[in-house]
Amino acid sequence: MLQIETSHEEKYALIVLKGEVDASNSVELDEAINGMVEDQNTHMLIDATDLNYISSAGLGVFMSYLEDFQEKSIRFVIFGLNDKVLHVFHILGLDQLIKLKPDKVAALQELYEA
Amino acid sequence: MLKIPRLNIGKISLLVAILTWMALLFVDLVRLFGALNQMDSGMAPEISWALEIIFFILVFLFYRDAIQKNEGSNFLELIWKAASTGLIAMGISLLIGGFYYLMGESRLSTDPLLKNLFYHVNFALTTLFLISTTQIWRHLILYQKNKTVIQQWQAFEVILLLSMFFIFFNQNTFDYAFIFGLLFMLIFGVVLSVNLKWIPYLTFKEKWKSLLFLVIILVAISYLFVQLLSYSESSLIMVNLTDNLFLLGLFGFVFVYALFSFLVTLFNLPTSSVFEQKLTEAISFQRLSQSIQPGQNEDQVLDILVDSCMSASYADGAWLELNVEDGTPAIHHQRFISNQQRQEVREKINGLKAFEESLKDSRGQNKEPINGRLMDAAFKSVLINPLVVNKEWIGNLILLKEVKDGFNKEMVGIISTFVGQACISVENYRLLNEAIKNERYKEELQIAKRVQQSLLPSELVHDEHFEIAGFSQAADEVGGDYYDIVQLAAHRFALIIGDVSGKGTSAAFNMSQMKGVFHSLVQLDLEPSEFLIKANVALSKCLERNHFITTTYFNLDTVQRSIKLSRAGHCPTLYFDSSKQNAEFLSVDGMGLGIVRSRMFEKYITDKTFQYQPSDVMVLYTDGIIEAKNKDGVEFGYEKLKKALNEHHHLAALEIKKKIMEKVFDFTGSTHLSDDDYSILVIKFLS
Repeated sequence: MLQIETSHEEKYALIVLKGEVDASNSVELDEAINGMVEDQNTHMLIDATDLNYISSAGLGVFMSYLEDFQEKSIRFVIFGLNDKVLHVFHILGLDQLIKLKPDKVAALQELYEA
Repeated sequence: MLKIPRLNIGKISLLVAILTWMALLFVDLVRLFGALNQMDSGMAPEISWALEIIFFILVFLFYRDAIQKNEGSNFLELIWKAASTGLIAMGISLLIGGFYYLMGESRLSTDPLLKNLFYHVNFALTTLFLISTTQIWRHLILYQKNKTVIQQWQAFEVILLLSMFFIFFNQNTFDYAFIFGLLFMLIFGVVLSVNLKWIPYLTFKEKWKSLLFLVIILVAISYLFVQLLSYSESSLIMVNLTDNLFLLGLFGFVFVYALFSFLVTLFNLPTSSVFEQKLTEAISFQRLSQSIQPGQNEDQVLDILVDSCMSASYADGAWLELNVEDGTPAIHHQRFISNQQRQEVREKINGLKAFEESLKDSRGQNKEPINGRLMDAAFKSVLINPLVVNKEWIGNLILLKEVKDGFNKEMVGIISTFVGQACISVENYRLLNEAIKNERYKEELQIAKRVQQSLLPSELVHDEHFEIAGFSQAADEVGGDYYDIVQLAAHRFALIIGDVSGKGTSAAFNMSQMKGVFHSLVQLDLEPSEFLIKANVALSKCLERNHFITTTYFNLDTVQRSIKLSRAGHCPTLYFDSSKQNAEFLSVDGMGLGIVRSRMFEKYITDKTFQYQPSDVMVLYTDGIIEAKNKDGVEFGYEKLKKALNEHHHLAALEIKKKIMEKVFDFTGSTHLSDDDYSILVIKFLS
């Protein structure tokens, strides 16, 4: 089960993920991110506090946007990953490409730091 | 072997009946001869009566057998049989009458013996006619029988049997008992004669024919009855065979039933078309509900649909349009209407308010038939029935009539039933086709499974310095896990394990590309990091944007006892160090193949080299093992894997692999993992 809530805050777009991302619902995640990119958002936050599991298909979704983010200078931060999910990002090496922060405060800081 | 021929009751009873009749004739003639010559022939009338009863019973048996054999014949044939028997009996009797008329006052015409012979012939024919007709009536009465009717008929047969013997009691006199008996039989006959359920099933034409036959029967029976009465007044007949309660009772019954049938058939004539219509509708319905046979197609069902609906509503024109939404509907089964007329009518339909509204509901869940009026010269009423198959609106059936308000409620009802049934037939047909298609896909997948399994090495090469055991299982028919080992030189091996993101068919295709890349690059005898960099370039060109592959590549030297590995985002290798007697995960930085598809990838890849000791164990695996969940949703995880190796490191590679898998299955509580592909490769180093 995956629940996705998207909202536009004043200075950034927020996507809240709850549950599990697997092959069956990774398309929903893709649609959510794609929607944010098409809405010309330049600052994106992903709240993964309640994300319990992510499969390789879900990781593939994040991965596929890395180039887009770079080209369009979109700043993109995921925060609140639990240890297990963080480990998955780490093993794959995605932590070297995506900014991962423990909480929202750190994430926002990262977003507007540079 | 002696064969006992099966007794044919019909033939035997017929034969014996003829013999009995001849005996009866002989007895009566002897008696008459004696009387004429003033001699006592010693022939008591009881002998004649007894023979008569035997004759009755035998004829009865013969006809019952004959009618039963013709169980399949229709009502009209049966009535014709009765009528023709009546005609023959009447005809022969008339011939005899004609013979006497021609003889005039000649000597032959007054010969009592000849007259007696003819009397017996008439008696026999009358009996045959009455009994055969009774048997036919029985068949008609018992059509759509119930228990009560059967019981009534059985009682009637008993009464008939008793009436045969009545003659012994009243000694052939016409007394009150006789009248009472006759009256009783008549009343019983009337009660039975209300069973006329066969009549509605005759078509209009058949009804006319049966009326004719029934008239013939009524005429024949009246004639024979009058003739019989004339005999009873004749003085020449010594023993009157025909003033018999049985025969008179039959006369009454056969006449009453024929009369009832005649009248009911006559009064059924005007409504028979309605009944026929209902019957046609039932048959149409049945044809529509029959599932479409292989080799047939939907078109045939729709063809039947249009025909059935037209006949049910007496429509003057019709057509069927499919795929209306596409703008250019395909017109099927256009009936009694020209293309130009159809287009004119179609435009007028578009103008109907109800139709406009129904178009809004394009999905078709709540579409209702539309019964509308048209301002058209040729057609004044229209009925539009939507065809909805599998909750999807596929088209319209349009019926037209020349008269205003031509479709009444009953017609609309029956037509929507027809349409509904036809749609179900089409739906079933489509489902069946889909099932067949799915079955074929399944077979294809089975082939893919066999092909893919052959992509994994059936034998893992190794030398005397290490053991190796592997195992892989896909979640679906095919999967994206891969492992392989290749001997580069004596004592030097290249080892790989990989996992394609996602699972199923797409993963399987990428896995086969992975294998191709491995077998090409391995020949270059590259350093692990170089291998991964080149593999990343190659795979980046064929992987979809959101797909990647994780892998770990090893170079193994069994002489120098060295392992050099590089990790591309794959699960960390579990390594049991025999000197420390402890298993640990090897930490090497890395990045999955296809994630960074540029030269930037190189900076994420590192090599790691170390020496191994005999008794060290290396376990390679894919994330399917780590993420295997038990029924509470808890993952097997890294710690349990480590613990399993610590417990079983002393075993041979094959045994270690088995034990680890047992642990995993014990944990998940099943003998297979269904969520993801999973693979494991165990290498145990020897001295």
